[in-house]
Amino acid sequence: MNRLMTSLRDGIGFDTLLIFAALAYLMAFAGLPLIYNIIISFQQVDMFSLGSLFHQAVGFENYAAVFHDPLAWRVLVNTVVFTLASVFFQFTIGFAFALFFNQKFPGATWFRGLFLAGWVMPGLVVGVLWNWLLSGDFGVINYVLLSLGLISEPIFWRSDVDYSLIAVILANIWYGMPFNMILLAVGLAAIPDDLYEAAELDGANAVQRFFTITLPMMRATIGAVLALGIIFTLQQFDLFAAITSGGPAGSSTVAQYWSWQLSFREFDFGRGAVISVIMIIVVLGVSAIYVRSTRAETRL
Amino acid sequence: MTGTPQIEFSDVDKHYGSFHALKSIDLTIPKGQFVALVGPSGCGKSTLLRSIAGLEKISSGTIRIAGQTVNDIPPRKRDLAMVFQSYALYPHMNVRDNLTYALRLKGIAKDERAKAADDVAKIIGLEGLLDRKPKELSGGQRQRVAMGRAIIRQPKAFLFDEPLSNLDASLRVRMRKEIRALHDRIGSTSVYVTHDQIEAMTMADHVVVMQAGVIEQQGPPLELYERPVNRFVAGFIGSPAMNFVDATVTDDGTKVVLELQSKPTIAIAGQLEPGRKVTAGLRPEHIETGDPSAQDMAPIMIGAAEATGATTYLFSDDDPELIIVTDGANLIKQGETVGFSIAPERVHLFDPGSGRALTQSGG
Repeated sequence: MNRLMTSLRDGIGFDTLLIFAALAYLMAFAGLPLIYNIIISFQQVDMFSLGSLFHQAVGFENYAAVFHDPLAWRVLVNTVVFTLASVFFQFTIGFAFALFFNQKFPGATWFRGLFLAGWVMPGLVVGVLWNWLLSGDFGVINYVLLSLGLISEPIFWRSDVDYSLIAVILANIWYGMPFNMILLAVGLAAIPDDLYEAAELDGANAVQRFFTITLPMMRATIGAVLALGIIFTLQQFDLFAAITSGGPAGSSTVAQYWSWQLSFREFDFGRGAVISVIMIIVVLGVSAIYVRSTRAETRL
Repeated sequence: MTGTPQIEFSDVDKHYGSFHALKSIDLTIPKGQFVALVGPSGCGKSTLLRSIAGLEKISSGTIRIAGQTVNDIPPRKRDLAMVFQSYALYPHMNVRDNLTYALRLKGIAKDERAKAADDVAKIIGLEGLLDRKPKELSGGQRQRVAMGRAIIRQPKAFLFDEPLSNLDASLRVRMRKEIRALHDRIGSTSVYVTHDQIEAMTMADHVVVMQAGVIEQQGPPLELYERPVNRFVAGFIGSPAMNFVDATVTDDGTKVVLELQSKPTIAIAGQLEPGRKVTAGLRPEHIETGDPSAQDMAPIMIGAAEATGATTYLFSDDDPELIIVTDGANLIKQGETVGFSIAPERVHLFDPGSGRALTQSGG
C-alpha cells in the first residue's frame, strides 16, 4: 500500500494515472461512440429498435443501399466540390491576407485580429447573415452584381439548383478564411527576418524570396492548415442547415448533411452510420497527412 | 588610409522615430582593407553596416559603393555579401544549395554551380558536408557555410555582423585567424562589426570606434591603443581596461598627484597648468612594480592579488581600485605595500569634464 502511494506521488505511477485518465476520457466520449457507429452501420436500426442496445445484423445491406441510392452520386460530387472549393479559396485568400498583414504597417496585428470576429461566430448565425446577403429579392450580393452590370436579373442563390451549393461555398469560404489566415500568419511570423535579408543580399527579388524562402519554410504549416481545412469543411453542417437545408432537390446536399438527414429525418440510423463510417476513413487519411506534416519541421 | 575608396559615407544620418542612431557619419573604406566597427551595444555599428547593405534606409547623406551612390539601390543590386550573427542559413536547403543560392538566382547552370560549391567547400573546409542540412552541422560548421556563401559570389565587399559571437572561445580565436587569412587571400574589402575590441584589434587594418551614433576615433589598431583621443576610446580599447584616476597637476606642472590613498606622484611627459584637475589614464600592463622605498617608485597598498600563472593581477586597496598586470612570478600578497612606476610618455591625461585627451605641451 505504502509503495503504491509512493509510486503515485513520486514515481511513474502518477504519470501512468494521468495517461489513463486521458485515455479513459477519450475512450468513453470518442472511442466507444465511434465503435458503436461502425457497429450500427452493419445493423438495422430504426425508431423502434433505437432504444435497445443490440439490433438485427444486416451485413453490408446498409452499404449497398447507400451506394445504390439515386442521391449518392450527387452527394459525392457535391462533397468533393464543396470541400475542394472551400479549402482552396479559404487557403489562398487566407494566405494572401496573412502575407498582407505580415508587412509591417501600423495596426497590422490589430486588423488581423478583427478578422477573427467572423470565425468565432456560431455557424448558424453566419448562415443567417449569409441568407440575407444572398437573398434573391433584397440581398446585397445581387444588388452589387446588378449594379456592376455583371448579371441582368437577380440570382436566387438558395433556391436555384445551379447556385445553391455555390451559395454555401461562398459563406463557408468567408467563415473559414480567418482561421487559415491566423495559422498561416503564425507560420510566417516564425520565419526569421534575417533569412529574407540574406536572400535579399544574395540577389533575390520579392517573388523569388516567396518561392525559395517563404513557401518551403511554410511547408509544415501549409500541410497542417490544408489538412485541418479539409477536416473542418467535412464537418461543416450549420451553414447547410441555415442556408439551403441541402436543397433544392438535393442540389446542395453533402455527405455530412445527408448522414444527418438519413439518421434524424428518415430515422434510418444504419444508413446514416454508413456515411459517417466512410467519412471517418477519409478524415483518418487526412489526419495522417496532418500528423506527418507537423512532424516534418524544417526549422533550425 | 590610402587606396581607392570602396565604401564611402558622407554626412550620413539615421533616425528611428526620435532615436538618432547615426549622427553625421563620414567614413571612407579603401578597397582591400579590413575595417572593424567596434563599440558597445546600441552604438550604431550594426546600423552602419546594415545601411551599407541597404537593409536600413538612411535618413540623409550619401553612401557610395565603388563610386556609385547607392542610397536608392535595393540590397539585391548592391552586390555585397553579408555574414549574419545568426548565420541566417536557409534551413530547408542543404549546404550545397545554401552556398549556391545566389548563383542559382543569377541563372548559372547547375553543373557550374556544383563546381563552384566544391571549390568553396575546399577553401573553407566543408568537403563531405555538402549534402547536409544546416541543422546537422555544428556551430563552427554553420559559421563556415555562412562564410562560404559570402565568398562564392566575389562581391564588392564582405559585411560581417558579429559573426563569431555565437561560437565558443577557442573556436572564436581560430575563426578570427581564418577570416583574416581568407580576406588576405581573396583581397576583398571587408567591414566587420564586433563589440569585442580584441577581435577588432587583432583582425582589422583599420578600427572605427563608435559610441551613441558617433565615430569617436578611427585609425590603425595600435594608434587607437597608443593615442586614444578621448577617455571613451582609451577605456574601450585594451584589456583589462585602462585605469582612470582623478589627479591634480603639481606646482611645477610636470607631475600629477593621483587621488589614491597613498597620494602617489608620477611624472608626465610635458607640462600642464599647475593645480589643474585631470583624469590620468594608466594601462594596467604599463605599470611596473618594485621596491616601494626605491627613489622613482610611488607606494601603493595592494587590496587583492589574482595569480593566473602567466600573469598576476594586482588590485590596489582604493576605490576605484587601480589594476596592475605584472609577471606571474611576481609573488605579491594582499595587504602588502609595493612601489609602482609608469613611464611618463605612457601616462594618458584627459580633461575630467569633456573626457578629451590633453595634449601635453613640450611632450
